[in-house]
Amino acid sequence: MKKFFYKPSILALAVGMFLASCDPEIEAPSISAGSQLDLTKYVAVGNSLTAGFQDRGLYREGQLSSYPAILAQQFETVGGGEFTQPLFSEAEANGSGYIKVGSFVGGIPIPEPVAAQATRGGTLPGGAEALTKHLEPVQNLGIPGISVLTSASAAYGASNPYLERLLQPAEVGNKTYIQEVLESQPTFFSMWLGNNDILGYALAGGEPANVTQALTDTTIFENIYTNFINNLTANGAEGILVNIPDVKTVPFFTTVPYNALTLTTQAQVDALNAAYGSGALGITFALGPNPLVVRDPAAPAGFRQIKSNELVLLPALEGIAGQGYGSQVPLPSNLFLSESEINQINDYTSSYNQVIRNIATSKNLAFFDVNNYFNTIKGGFVMDAVTYAPTFVTGNLFSLDGIHLTPRGYAILANEMIKTINAKYSAQIPTVDATKYRAVLLP
Amino acid sequence: MKRKILALITGSLLSGAAMAGGYQVNLASQRQIGMGHTGTGITTGTSSIFFNPGAMSYLRENGVTIGASGIISKIAYQAPEPSGATAMTDNPIGTPFQVYGVFGINDKLKAGLGIYTPFGSTVNWGNDWNGRFALSELSLQAIFIQPTLSYQITDQLGIGAGFVYAIGGVNLQRNIPLQNSQGAYGSAELDGKANGVGFNAGIFFKPSEQLSFGLSYRSKVDMKVSGGDVTFSNMPTSPAIAGRFPAGTEFDATLPLPATLTLGAGFMPTQDLTIAVDVSHVGWSAYKSLRFDYSQDVNGSNYAENARNYKDAYIYRIGAEYNLSDVFALRAGAYYDGTPVQEGYLTPETPDSDSRGLSVGFGYKLSEDLSIDASFLYINKKKRTDASDLSGGIAGTYKSVAYIPGVALNYKF
Repeated sequence: MKKFFYKPSILALAVGMFLASCDPEIEAPSISAGSQLDLTKYVAVGNSLTAGFQDRGLYREGQLSSYPAILAQQFETVGGGEFTQPLFSEAEANGSGYIKVGSFVGGIPIPEPVAAQATRGGTLPGGAEALTKHLEPVQNLGIPGISVLTSASAAYGASNPYLERLLQPAEVGNKTYIQEVLESQPTFFSMWLGNNDILGYALAGGEPANVTQALTDTTIFENIYTNFINNLTANGAEGILVNIPDVKTVPFFTTVPYNALTLTTQAQVDALNAAYGSGALGITFALGPNPLVVRDPAAPAGFRQIKSNELVLLPALEGIAGQGYGSQVPLPSNLFLSESEINQINDYTSSYNQVIRNIATSKNLAFFDVNNYFNTIKGGFVMDAVTYAPTFVTGNLFSLDGIHLTPRGYAILANEMIKTINAKYSAQIPTVDATKYRAVLLP
Repeated sequence: MKRKILALITGSLLSGAAMAGGYQVNLASQRQIGMGHTGTGITTGTSSIFFNPGAMSYLRENGVTIGASGIISKIAYQAPEPSGATAMTDNPIGTPFQVYGVFGINDKLKAGLGIYTPFGSTVNWGNDWNGRFALSELSLQAIFIQPTLSYQITDQLGIGAGFVYAIGGVNLQRNIPLQNSQGAYGSAELDGKANGVGFNAGIFFKPSEQLSFGLSYRSKVDMKVSGGDVTFSNMPTSPAIAGRFPAGTEFDATLPLPATLTLGAGFMPTQDLTIAVDVSHVGWSAYKSLRFDYSQDVNGSNYAENARNYKDAYIYRIGAEYNLSDVFALRAGAYYDGTPVQEGYLTPETPDSDSRGLSVGFGYKLSEDLSIDASFLYINKKKRTDASDLSGGIAGTYKSVAYIPGVALNYKF
């Protein structure tokens, strides 16, 4: 026996076993859903942000890293049930199509389109391309484009391709989104709805071209939203409500500075001053950064220089670089938000957010104040040695459309929601390692 | 020949795995490891070159010692609650070593040469953990070469001093939070050779057969890297991004290896029993920041700097040796090593905390001239949770343990 003990292989085995049993250990934090939550059936209610939309499109990768998918995955660790999403198939992984960065020109990322794969041919009323149907019941009911207003419209299901693809043929145009949600009978739900009641207006630069770009009347918003929650909680479901961020914390509205017109030579300055009446219109230029010239029907000459508290929209970037927008050509009024338009957006945002907060309180639901969250991270933060900020491309949180998040951004929001749920329902649901999710890919 | 041997040593051996406070590696003699790494207040044989050059003059015979340890260490990590993320290092076995030779010029004056590895660190967190943008792998080596002279002034008093020339290197790898079109993260590797100089001096006082004292001072050594290589890989290729991480970038850096002042005492109540105690003060406050100066702008800056702000720390040691027979001695010891890392400054490169060491060992005389020492040291660092928000570190909870067997051969002539 003694002889065998000295055999190197046995010795190595013994040493190996000893060492394996002596690894340093840190007691794992206990995890549990607590006694107040029933996570058997989680249903996510919302718009594009809930669907996993990013880079100007909905595609399989974005769906797989949607915040509801991350929440459900973490819920499963504490006994939550299965979660199904209306995933585009792998063969149609590019979904609705999206954009990626094709190249950089002068430091500006130039988008390159990735073609849609999940179109089934034909268009819907309103002109959108019809998408491949997905008729099995799903729990991620995030519908890009939907608002509180349209959630109550039966006709809407015929024109929104993301809702249309989920409805049975007979239901199209005859069933509201609210009905579709209520049929799913969740035991727990998340609801992040209402962004589009404002965004339609804001993305149009405050120049609504059709009814979906109008701001939703606050009383109508309150009635629909309140009824929706009343019905959703009728059977005792618990849930988390999420409010609407401030447009001033979204890169689509903050990337292009008001004084984006940089003049480097006196000849440029002189030429522009001469072109704009040599100061007679109250418009003057100097070397360095200058406020953009914008179209404003209310201004004496129909244009003026933009104020420092007004917001230029992201798509103006190309026109400023290539078409003389903001200098020789006044920036079209649908490419910026004026002071009065911003005030209106702020008023509606706070009214809607008051409605959401009130119903969360009265129904005793968890409430994630994402408006406040984005305000607190405006200046950026560092997590795991990575810098994050609500800035375009470089901030790691927002995708290439400047409105929707990256997979990493969605994971970070999902973690914030989990912390909110834990606090509200005395649960110990683990958060996810956000570094496992990607940010913006660069060529 | 000597250069060849050094090249072999530096090439094939890794020195230590950050298993004392900070990146100090207190594994200088197999006999002394067995005794809790005490040794400043007693004669320790050839290893007095390290522990107390003043005691070297008490050696009655010429001798050579060669020894090495194997550091088997692991660090567990858990992200701050409620995160479920965990990680464990996969460190290679560290192999600090020591070679000492002492030659008597006359009865009073001795000359010696020591080559040992008092600092180093090898930490491998891999490329999957959530802290990979701070650190995926670090290897730090320092080999001290110390020619020493020691003079016995009286029967009771000896002094000694040695000049230290240190060589070594650093290799640091981390991910860069930029992803190419395939989704792969960029990575940076900083690799450079370092060197520095210092000294080691000591006084040894032996008022009686039963009692001895020692005081030693090992100076700070600034390990300087000059013209180390910075290599970027997997970066996005478009010039707007790649241009911010230029190829051929070199870096300069200085890592201070802190001064250590040690007061030791020895008690020999009987001929067969030796008890030793040491108290060390380690001047860690010299480590203010980790700074890399680049030869050209990297991501818009020609340097990268993270605060460390270590504070001075104390180490308390006790150890004993008992001669069971003329040829066999048993040893045991313990120590407590205070951490130099202040709250908020914990980093994944040295996720340090107060550490406790327990050791055993034995010595066996094979013949009049030849003997072996063997030791086993267990180090357990206190579990530590830190926000790491002042050092650019990774917040979370860390726990380290290490198992360190070692063996040495002594030859007298």
